[in-house]
Amino acid sequence: MKREENKYWNPVIETLPREKLTEIELKRFRETLRWAKEGSPFYKKKLRGIEPEDIRTLEDVARVPMTEKDELREAQEGKGLPLYGDLLAVPPEKLSVFHQTSGTTGKPVFFPDTYESWQLVVDIWCYILYAAGFRSTDRVFLPFVYNVYIAFWQGHYAAEKLGCEVVPGGGLETKARLQKMKDVQATALMNTPTYGLHMLEVAKEMGMDPKRDLGIRKMICAGEPMPEPSRLRLEEGWGAEVYDHIGGTEPGGWAGMCSQKKGMHVIEPYFLFEMVDLETVSKPIPSGVKGVAVITPLCRRCIPLIRFNLKDIMTKRDDPCPCGRTSVRVDQIGGRVDDLRKIRGVFFSPNMVEEVIRAQFPEVVEFETLLTQEGVMPVLTLKVELAPSVDESQRMEMKNRIREKLKIRTNLTFQVEFVKPGGLPRYSLKSARFKDMTRR
Amino acid sequence: MEYDLKAMALEIEAIEERTNRLKELARGFEAVEKNAEVILTFVYLLKKNVSDVVE
Repeated sequence: MKREENKYWNPVIETLPREKLTEIELKRFRETLRWAKEGSPFYKKKLRGIEPEDIRTLEDVARVPMTEKDELREAQEGKGLPLYGDLLAVPPEKLSVFHQTSGTTGKPVFFPDTYESWQLVVDIWCYILYAAGFRSTDRVFLPFVYNVYIAFWQGHYAAEKLGCEVVPGGGLETKARLQKMKDVQATALMNTPTYGLHMLEVAKEMGMDPKRDLGIRKMICAGEPMPEPSRLRLEEGWGAEVYDHIGGTEPGGWAGMCSQKKGMHVIEPYFLFEMVDLETVSKPIPSGVKGVAVITPLCRRCIPLIRFNLKDIMTKRDDPCPCGRTSVRVDQIGGRVDDLRKIRGVFFSPNMVEEVIRAQFPEVVEFETLLTQEGVMPVLTLKVELAPSVDESQRMEMKNRIREKLKIRTNLTFQVEFVKPGGLPRYSLKSARFKDMTRR
Repeated sequence: MEYDLKAMALEIEAIEERTNRLKELARGFEAVEKNAEVILTFVYLLKKNVSDVVE
C-alpha cells in the first residue's frame, strides 16, 4: 500500500474495539496513578488513600479526585528553582522543554516536558494532523509567534515527523506572511481561527484572493473554540479544508477532526476522557448531554495530571464515525465554564455571539462583547467593526438585525455599537472577544 | 491490512535491549549515551503505539 493512501497514522490503535480501548486506558490510568504517587509530592499527598490496583472500572476512575488548574497554580506559587513546586514527577535535570499557559484565567502556570514526554505529545499530534489529511507531500506554513506559549510548537514538530516541509512563519507581519506563503507555494496552514480570518482581511487589502492566489488546501486550527460558522467562513475564504483540534498547555493536543468534520476524535488510548455535569462538575453524564470535559493524559511522564478539569463545555458523542475510527468524539467546544454567565436568569456563553455573527453577518470584520452593570442591571454591549464596503445608509437596518438575531439565539437584549475600521484589537493567538467589566 | 503485531513487539523489545546495552558500554561517552537515550525515547513511543496493544 502506498503511504499516501493510508487513512490512519496508527491503523491498529485507531480502529480498536471500544472494550479494548477502555481496557488499555484503565491499565494506563493505574500506571499513571502509581507513577504520580511515587514521583510527585503533590500527588502523593492528594491521592493518599487511593490505591492504583483498586481502579478496575470507569466508575472507580470517577471516584478519584479531580485536579483543578488553581491547584497547579498554587503548587507553583512563589517556588524557587526548579519552578514547578511539588508537581514534578521526574528529576529536574531530565527537563528539556519549557512552556507556560497564557494566563487568561489567572497567573500563568509553567509546564515543562522531558525529551520523552515532548516526543510523546508530538506523536499524538501526528494522529491529529494525519486525520486532517496532512501528508509528506505538504509544505506547511506556520504563521505563529514562536515563544513560551505552546500554540503550534507540537504541530511544527509533528508536521516535521510526518515528513512535511515546515516553513516557520514567525517574526513576520501579516502581509509578509501572506507573501511568503505565496512565494514558497505553501499547501497547508496552522493558525487560530481568529488569525485565519484576519489574514483573509489583510489579503483583501493587498488585492490578494487566497482562494485564487494561494495554494492552501488544508488548515488546522487551535487555540480557541471555533464555532461551525467560523470554520465554514474560513473554508470559503481560503478555499481549503479546515479542521479543528482541541488541546492546551497542560494536556497537550488531545482531540482532532477527521475528514468527516463531525466533531473531534479523542486521541485514545493516550487520554482517558470523561464528561461531568455542568451543575456540580462531579457527576458522570451520558453522551449527547452538554457538560464539562475532564481529561487524564496517560503516558506523558513529567507533570502528571490526574482527572484534569478542563472547564471546557462540550458534548460527547458515541455514534460510529464513517471514517472508521473507534474513539469517542466530542462536538466543538461550546464555551468555557469561566466565561459562562447567568444574566437575567439566562445562561449566556460568548460563543453564542460568535455563532450568530459568523453565520449571518459576513460584513462584520471584528466584534467584541462587553458585560457591564448599570445599577443592578447587567448590560450586554456588542461592539462591531464593519467592512469598509458597508455604507452609512445600511447601518441602522443592520444594527436592528444584529440585535434581533442575538435576541433569538441568547434570549437577551444587546446594545449594538459600531466602531471605526481598525478600532477593535486583532489577535494572532488566543482571542479575548468577551470582556466582563463587572468582575474588575 | 493485517499486521504481525507480536513480531513487531518482539523487535521493539530487541531494540530496547540492544540500546540499553549500548548505553551501558558508553558510560560517560556523551555523544553515544545521549543518542542511545534518544533511541530509547522512540522505543517508548513504539511500545505505546504497538506493544501495549499486544499485551
